[in-house]
Amino acid sequence: MVAAMARLDDTASLAAAEAQISRDAARRLDIAFRGGAGIFSILVLLIAWEIFARSGKVTAFMLPPFSAVAERIYADAIGGELWRNLWVTMFRAITGFAIAAVGGIALGAVMARSRIVRWFFDPIISVGFPMPKIAFLPIIILWLGLYDVSKISIVVFDAIFPVVTATLAGLAGVEKELIWSGRNMGASERELMWQVALPAALPQILTGLQVALPIALIVAIIAEMAMGGYGLGGAMMSASRFADSRGVFAGIVEIAIVGYALIKAMALIRRRLLVWHQETAERH
Amino acid sequence: MDGQSQIIIERVNHTYRPPRGRPVLALSDVSLDVRPREFLALLGPSGCGKSTLLYLVGGFLPTETGRIVVKGKPVTAPGPDRGIVFQHFALFPWKSVRANILYGLERQRMPRAERERRAQAFIDLVGLSGFEDSYPSQLSGGMKQRTAIARTLAFDPDILLMDEPFGALDAQTRALMQTELLNIWKRTPKTVIFVTHDVQEAVYLAERVAVMSARPGRIKAIIETKFDDRDPGLTRSKEFVEKVDELWNLVREEAIKAQSIKAQENQEKKPSS
Repeated sequence: MVAAMARLDDTASLAAAEAQISRDAARRLDIAFRGGAGIFSILVLLIAWEIFARSGKVTAFMLPPFSAVAERIYADAIGGELWRNLWVTMFRAITGFAIAAVGGIALGAVMARSRIVRWFFDPIISVGFPMPKIAFLPIIILWLGLYDVSKISIVVFDAIFPVVTATLAGLAGVEKELIWSGRNMGASERELMWQVALPAALPQILTGLQVALPIALIVAIIAEMAMGGYGLGGAMMSASRFADSRGVFAGIVEIAIVGYALIKAMALIRRRLLVWHQETAERH
Repeated sequence: MDGQSQIIIERVNHTYRPPRGRPVLALSDVSLDVRPREFLALLGPSGCGKSTLLYLVGGFLPTETGRIVVKGKPVTAPGPDRGIVFQHFALFPWKSVRANILYGLERQRMPRAERERRAQAFIDLVGLSGFEDSYPSQLSGGMKQRTAIARTLAFDPDILLMDEPFGALDAQTRALMQTELLNIWKRTPKTVIFVTHDVQEAVYLAERVAVMSARPGRIKAIIETKFDDRDPGLTRSKEFVEKVDELWNLVREEAIKAQSIKAQENQEKKPSS
């Protein structure tokens, strides 16, 4: 009886120990996943690409192996071509994004304050937001030509919508007690907007900017593809025209890297700006 | 100025107009005088318009009929002579404790050195030394309300409007904050209008309690609640318990009415939704 109990005890503690080990393993796996999950799936994809491209089922023209594409990117980087194209695309995307950010926040703020302005712009925003703005590209080419001005304009035109709507929603959601507190302490209407309403709406405004940034990059690249004039998109189209398959795939990989870097940078800026916010506090 | 009253509320009506649905008469023919440096509690069931009355005195809502006069001048807009403290603190979450307190002083163009000194004095007064650089999201509910009180006291309003300031706090913190508020009030005497639905809190803190009826809110009775000494032991004394009882009898009827109003409203809402 006692022995049986002891054995039972042993089994229990063994089970507990096993549970502990599996919990530890799970935790370690969890940490590994959190650290490497983003890279792991990409790695699988790249390896699959490499194996498939070398399997002989496709020609190197249809799908060059990743290693060859990587070599090409390296060569372009050494030769300086990559940096020229990258600079041109980034200049167009970031300039357009910056104009859309400032203009969108300003328009959203004016709409939040003035009933007449809101009455006028609200339907335009509602109709315009879901529209494919890129369809205006032919018109913009007719009006503004083929160079940077027209490309940046189409970027602004496309990226401004999420900024306006986010600003509007953010400002509408500011608690009236915050505004009243500001007013109570003697803030003017102008100070209320700059020092109370906009900071209170900042989390939502930043969300709008985080939506607008990849849009800016996408539209800049599409505009380059359609209109030429260098940049990552333009380089891909000319590579395609010259049947330069490696060059086309190199462009795809470069765009992916640039997009990822931009989104990460924006998330970093968000964390910096919102140190006071609950969402940032919880992450630590 | 008659010297007797610092705030005169005369025959004030207020209609609440929701974006959808029928307008609701929130306050009906409310008249009330508040003396200088008096601690007055507005006691009533939830939804009786006591907060609305406070917002009218603060100038946050426009007075439609009747008049509200503060220190001889009719109220038209909010002003730093009437400082408000909200139930949910309304601190600027992007500013530290210190920056929150400094904000009102900056708006009043106080010289830098003086406002820094003053902010620190009020941080010390409410016992937040060591938390000057914390953000509101890092503070407990009690600490947030201390910050809000310090922020309002710092710009030195003659009148303190408190809208259920301890309503969001747990029972222990609430009791501590009540005692602390009385201590602060003794040191820096101000006219206080304190909105609450807690009978015991009203009797413990206030010198006079104005009992409001269920909606539409009217002043049902004004009861003197002066005690010689307001230490925490007071709440166990016979005279205190009797006062609470007297007020509770006045409020109970209104609370029951308020509940049936609420139930009726919910029933009206149902078919339409």
